[in-house]
Amino acid sequence: MFQKKKIVWLLLLPGMAGILAFYIVPFVGGLYYSMMDGSFENTFVGFENYARILQNNMFLAGLKNTWILSLMCAPTIWLLAFLLAAMLKTLKERSTAFRNILLLPYLMPSSALLIIWLLIFDYGGVVNRLVVALGFDRVLWLEGSALRVPIVLLYIWKNLGFSVVLFSSALSAVHPSLYEFASLEGAGWWTQAFRITLPQILPTAFLVFVLAWVNAFKIFKEAYFIGGDYPAAEIYTLQHFMNNKFAKLDYQDVTTAAYLFALGVIALFALMYASKAVRAPET
Amino acid sequence: MARRRRRRLGQMTFGGKISLVLLLLLSAVILIPIVFTFLYSFFPKGEMTAYLAKRGSYEDTWLEVLYAPAMFSLRQYYKIFIEDPTYLQLFCNSALYTGAILLGQALIIPLTAYALSRFKFHGRDAIFFLIMLLMILPFQVTMAPSVMMLRWLGLMDTVWAVILPMCFSPFYIFLLRQFMVSIPNELLEAGMVDGVGPVRGFIHVILPVCKPILGAAAALSFADCWNMVEQPMVYLANKSSLWPLSVMFNKISTEGADVAFAGAALYILPALFIYLYFQEDIVAGIQLSELK
Repeated sequence: MFQKKKIVWLLLLPGMAGILAFYIVPFVGGLYYSMMDGSFENTFVGFENYARILQNNMFLAGLKNTWILSLMCAPTIWLLAFLLAAMLKTLKERSTAFRNILLLPYLMPSSALLIIWLLIFDYGGVVNRLVVALGFDRVLWLEGSALRVPIVLLYIWKNLGFSVVLFSSALSAVHPSLYEFASLEGAGWWTQAFRITLPQILPTAFLVFVLAWVNAFKIFKEAYFIGGDYPAAEIYTLQHFMNNKFAKLDYQDVTTAAYLFALGVIALFALMYASKAVRAPET
Repeated sequence: MARRRRRRLGQMTFGGKISLVLLLLLSAVILIPIVFTFLYSFFPKGEMTAYLAKRGSYEDTWLEVLYAPAMFSLRQYYKIFIEDPTYLQLFCNSALYTGAILLGQALIIPLTAYALSRFKFHGRDAIFFLIMLLMILPFQVTMAPSVMMLRWLGLMDTVWAVILPMCFSPFYIFLLRQFMVSIPNELLEAGMVDGVGPVRGFIHVILPVCKPILGAAAALSFADCWNMVEQPMVYLANKSSLWPLSVMFNKISTEGADVAFAGAALYILPALFIYLYFQEDIVAGIQLSELK
């Protein structure tokens, strides 16, 4: 560790200049915009914009859909990732290939997978064949609220592996003697997973959940790929609202919506920090 | 060998066998979209156009699953590469952005991470906290004011509007800093005895040790840029000729059905190679992104 070296400021300069110009100044500047009325005189209006946007139906629809989509994604990813990581662990050295396949979509451009996705979820597509084989009626996946399913699944397909890797590394740290003891006591796989493994890795589990949620809150790409700029009302997200307001040069609405959105993300971030507190006593 | 493997399978616990079967199934499901995109890219124009035209029907017919083309065709690839440059042009746009951003990040991010990890100075923790906060904020939060900034700098609707902000991506500063913090001090101290200063220490000690994490960061950043959607849509709103291919897929697939799969396959290919080359580093990198 270098102490009191003047050169550190030189090293920091390029990075911090960029961060300041492209992240911090816009962030602070946005706060200013959200409190102005945007007219010719540009007067200060305080929280008026916020009060107005909270009554905007499109904003509320976007907010609701963002919540619904993120709450469809995050818990599913969390549970699947935990179960898969536990399964990978039982396979020991054979698990590497599976882990690599699970992580593969994370590096894939989901935009390029769009066209095959539309075929899979077509009314006459593979998913509906499965649905009929299970004894249900066919579903119009690409219309109305059912649209959420292909969007959420595309998101899960891409992001599941990330959480699996985080869970796997936490699982490998659990002491094997705990399992040996549990096996002697006659505990099955399921009991071991939820009674021994999960409590042992609780801090990571909490972190994975929050991380999955924060990221799922930003779900937009998938909805844009499948629904375009003005998608069906059921998949109209906050980002759509902001993009469309932005296209109309209504900067007040964009920034105000953005800060209300940021508030949600920052609350989740605080939750993540709280997870550090959960972890602290154990390490 | 086969017998030994069978015996090992026999020794597996019941849970182990179930896991194996479920994971095999899931792996197949995960790979299907990729495999079929490649497969369908070899279907000739007539066959694929007819097939895609059957899509979106409300009647109780099934869209058959095609496993092999009636006639294997490379004509779509020929069209993309030689006849019709639109696709290739968009592909090159993507490559240009990705290359430029990775280069910029390589110049800036390791340096910033080094300063934040191996030096003690006032405000360091505050800066790091800020970077973590910025890293989780969605792009849209600062979108409108960023546009003002870029317009003021005269960069709007130029390639720089997409490239420059991404060069300072907070996530990769965070990732590299996490790795550099964990490098043992002895390594640097040994160098300092020999009179190596902070700059040479960075180049000769830190960077070589960081090789795996640099690989992981480059691969993850590549994937980000290659799938970029929001930034070009906003920063190049009036210059759609400069858009990367990732933004255009949902517009292309409505027409030009013959090249849709070939184009998608071509777009997947670089990402696939990068993943295969860097996969171990990527796994290690993701494990580091756990906040510690």
